[in-house]
Formats: sequence, structure tokens, C-alpha cells
Amino acid sequence: MTVDPELLMAYADGELDPLSAKRVERAIAQDPALAAQVERHRELRARIAGRFAPVAAEEVPDRLAALIRAAPVALPVRRPIATRWREAIAMAACLVIGVSVGLGWDRGPVTTQGGWLYAAGPLATALDTQLASAAGAVRVPVSFKDQAGRYCRVFSAAAIDGIACHDATGWALRQTRNGATGATTEYRQAGSSDAALMADAQALMAGDPLDATAERTARAGGWR
Amino acid sequence: MAAFEDDLLGLLPRLRRFARALARDAADADDLCQVTVEKALLARAQWQAGTRMDSWMYRIMRNSWIDTTRARSRAAQTFVAEAAGLGVGSDGGGEARVALGEIDRAMQALPDEQREAVALVLVEGLAYKEAAAVLDIPMGTLTSRLVRGRQALMAHLGEAA
Repeated sequence: MTVDPELLMAYADGELDPLSAKRVERAIAQDPALAAQVERHRELRARIAGRFAPVAAEEVPDRLAALIRAAPVALPVRRPIATRWREAIAMAACLVIGVSVGLGWDRGPVTTQGGWLYAAGPLATALDTQLASAAGAVRVPVSFKDQAGRYCRVFSAAAIDGIACHDATGWALRQTRNGATGATTEYRQAGSSDAALMADAQALMAGDPLDATAERTARAGGWR
Repeated sequence: MAAFEDDLLGLLPRLRRFARALARDAADADDLCQVTVEKALLARAQWQAGTRMDSWMYRIMRNSWIDTTRARSRAAQTFVAEAAGLGVGSDGGGEARVALGEIDRAMQALPDEQREAVALVLVEGLAYKEAAAVLDIPMGTLTSRLVRGRQALMAHLGEAA
């Protein structure tokens, strides 16, 4: 039997199915040159692997790790408006049911005013005063203006994540979901809510997110 | 930190190893890593959770490397090439050091399409099927590039093996 170089290499690498491997083995048994070739393949593999293996054991340079740790959550591409409305309606329905069942009315970070949900307590304070750069129990990573010209902010707290937009009454909750900082369930992968929330923010957004200066100005003006 | 970033951090040692096998020296390899990570972070919306992140990252790195080498070969046609033989393993000494330089030089001498096949299978330990998927080529193409790459390496390293 003739054994072509690819087949012999695949045998040396353990890539052949048992039947093909047996056939190659029979050929090797009758031809010392083939056996030597298999040995050379394996030696080369060990040598090349051995040359680069220490690289994986080196400490990763700080600048690379820092790049990943410091990465902001990217804003995904905008989706068509029709989808956004459908989602907004579905989200609103979930919001009313979810928040009323999950948190109880007028307790914790949420209150009701004229049938709408508003931020309360520390959440409202954070939305009023905290800049995107600040760390704390509540984080407010992104601020923006929506298509109606209202200031909106993405927030993340222990019990609740979401988007709030400022109107005459206060911070109206446009979207909420279970908080990322608190207990996570196995159904909810870490990070997925961040990305989904940012996608929703992007859908509501008119123009770009506020930069640090614009955010200070908005805060100084009471988010109006 | 989210799972995406955690997984990416965990892959960095392997990505650096792959980069070292592709790039011409350690500095270029770390630049390649940086570009790859930046691209991955920008493209994270395209990452599908549940699929293999290592394959996805290898693909991004390999494509970035190809972009760099193409840009470089265009530049080389325009400008006078740098002095040949710029140091691989220029400091230190001893037998081991010389041997390392030898393998690096043999890898450098491979055509890109053979070097990437060798790097994925021999250095990264991917199965043929996985390597073919990363390179987006049929299995037969992968094995023929791999066998030619290995024969060239054997010829280069010949007596020293």
C-alpha cells in the first residue's frame, strides 16, 4: 500500500479514524522509511510546540489586560424603529407586572406617580447627582437625550437595572430589569443585561451619549 | 466584570503564544495581540455566547496578522527594505538561545499560509477540523499546507533535529 504524505502526517498527529490508522500501521510495519517519517513528524511537533509553550506561561503584559478590564460596553448597532416600538410596548407591560410583583408598590428604589413608575430614594439621588465616571452602589454609566429631548440615564443598582428619563415629575423609569449587582440566576448570563440595556439605550437615543462636560451641564440644569 | 471580558482575559496567554508563532518578533506579537483585543472588544456584539471564543479570537488575530503583513509588503515595495537579519534573539547566549533562534527563523521562512497552519495545529494544538474552520478553508487544503509547511521546517532544521 502507498501512503501519501498527508495521510502519514495525519497518522502521526492521531487524526485518523481507527480503520485508516490500522491500514497505515500495516504499511509502516513493512517499511522502516515510513516509520522514520512518522517519528520525524512527532519530533518536529514536539520541538515547535516546545519552542512556543513558554510564551503561554509568561505573565500577560499589563497593557493587554488593562485594555480588557477598562473596556466600556460597546453600543450595538441601532435597530429599525418598528422593532423598537414593539419592544417598548412589551417592555412596558413587563415592567408594570414585574415591578409591582417583585418590589411592591412605593417601596425601595421605585415609587408611583399618577400611574407611572418613578425612581425613588437612593436611586433617584444617584440619577440626580452622580456622574457617569463615579463608582458606587448605583452606577450610571451612560447619559443621553432621547428623541423627545428629555435627558435619560442608564443605571445599574443592586435590585434593579434600567433606563430612566427625566420629566416634570422626576426620573420616569422607561425600562427595568433585575439588577446585575445582586444575585444572578442561572438563566441570566453576566454581561448580557448590560449589552441588552445598552442596545435599548441606543434605540432611545437621539445623537450620541453625553460626554463628561455635557453631563455636568445637564446636572447643573437639573436635567431639564 | 462580565463573562465576555473574563473569557477574553483567560484566552490571553494562548493568544500571545499564537501571535508569537505568527509574528516576526516578540514586539510585533504583542502589537498583534493588542490590535486583536481591540477588534474583539469592538466586535463583541457579533460574538455569539455558547460558541467557541478561542476559535473566534484566533480568527480575528489571524485576519489582523494578514492585514499587517499585506500592508508591510506593500510598504516594502515602496521603500528600501530594512537591513536583513534584524535580530531574533539578539541578547543572551548559549546553545539553547541559538536553537530557539533557529526555529524562529525556520518559521519566518514559511509562506504565510503554511505558517498559520503550523501555528494553529503544532503550536496551538488544534485538531485539523478546528484549524480549517478558523482559516475558513477545506480540510484538504489545510492538510496540504500543513504537510508542506512541516516538510519545509524539517528541511530547515534538518541536522539539528
